[in-house]
Amino acid sequence: MNFSEYVVSRWDTLSLAAAEHALVVGIAIGVSTAVGIGIGLLTHDLPKVRGLSLAISAAILTVPSLALLTLLIPITGLGWGSTLVALTAYAFLPIIRNTVAGLRGVDAAMVEAGRGMGMGRARVLLKVRLPLAWPLILTGVRVATQMLIGIAAIAAYVDGPGLGTQIFEGLSRLGSVNALNATLAGTLGIVVIAVLFDLFFFAVRQLTIPRGLRVRP
Amino acid sequence: MTTATLRAGRTRPFGRVSGLRHVITPVILCGVLFALYAWISAQNLDSIESRSLTREFLLAKAVEHVQLTFLATALVVVVAIPLGVVASRARNRLIAPVILTVANLGQAIPCIGLLVLCTFLLGVGFQTALVGLVAYAVLPVLRNTMVGVQQVDPALIEAARGMGMTRGQVLRRVELKLAVPAILAGLRTALVLTVGVATLGAFVAAGGFGELIINGLKLNRMPVTIVGAVLTACIAFFIDWLSGLAEDLLKPRGI
Repeated sequence: MNFSEYVVSRWDTLSLAAAEHALVVGIAIGVSTAVGIGIGLLTHDLPKVRGLSLAISAAILTVPSLALLTLLIPITGLGWGSTLVALTAYAFLPIIRNTVAGLRGVDAAMVEAGRGMGMGRARVLLKVRLPLAWPLILTGVRVATQMLIGIAAIAAYVDGPGLGTQIFEGLSRLGSVNALNATLAGTLGIVVIAVLFDLFFFAVRQLTIPRGLRVRP
Repeated sequence: MTTATLRAGRTRPFGRVSGLRHVITPVILCGVLFALYAWISAQNLDSIESRSLTREFLLAKAVEHVQLTFLATALVVVVAIPLGVVASRARNRLIAPVILTVANLGQAIPCIGLLVLCTFLLGVGFQTALVGLVAYAVLPVLRNTMVGVQQVDPALIEAARGMGMTRGQVLRRVELKLAVPAILAGLRTALVLTVGVATLGAFVAAGGFGELIINGLKLNRMPVTIVGAVLTACIAFFIDWLSGLAEDLLKPRGI
């Protein structure tokens, strides 16, 4: 059986696994984007808290994924629970850091102008700083998503969902007929998901970046 | 895009208070290791567990893990940094965007998929894991080096040329010196990346702490798994700390 025959004959399994892979990454990135941007908004002006939140999220990212996933087993069990918690935790660093960098990188003159127009601190933050920081924040989310798509493959070892199951199936049946096909299907499927997510973020970027930022000087 | 991506990569949040960070990490690690030792000593281990948690076995796994990490990193440095410098030259202008695109796309290939695919070509064992790790870490380091060398202020290069330096001298004495922070950051990325992925080396029978995790899961012996996971995390933090220290020591003064 060659690769295309394998993909056709296992289409149901593969498409379900791919959908689960995208879903688990999507949920994790959604949660950590909401929480991460929130943390960024709250802490960007407080050097100590900001440093602490960045240090903690950096420390999480230093823990190897297989270790974190297995350490979560006693707490959240095998499967979706551990996968979601680990993926969400890993996504924090790029998102929080880019949010903080974006919010702090806004030209002081812009903030001054907003204040001069009579906006309060909160309004300046939401109406001036956040829109101007948005491109950088979006980049952070994109980078985090690409990273999670790869990590989600490892989650299959703790019974997580997704295309990683195909890779581990190939590994455990090393030498048998469809071992290579299964591994290739898993790996290439993950690359396809990554490209699709990238296209999605490209579209979001085009649609949500304020018009004024797209004008090239 | 490039700078944004780089900014999204690893940096040290503790930048300015690095002195503090250099002390905190080993203290916390010692604490964690001590707690792990105390916890395991208090456990009633059955024969399988006590056989996997002997001092010799753990030491052997640690050596395998560190060997794999440093060998892979050394190879990555030898391959990626010269290539990054070559790619940053003006006459190779056309290659740079290709490398950036491939490096970004390459990140999407899951490391476990890459390792297993390497197994089909090379069989299981240490070499396979080494090849997989190097293939995985080369691109990010190459990209960092290239961007680091390219980011050198053109006015400085102009000044060096005006002082009568040849192109080779400019590269060695100005560009590479100024790119050292970027190159070291790339090296650190490579180390932390490989120490994590080296855990997966156990899947292709390359040893390392990952073996404890996998054995523990397969035999349903949670203490073994937890020891493996905690030790893996500790070694990752230790190597991150070590490379942070090296980064601070090797950085040329005046930058």
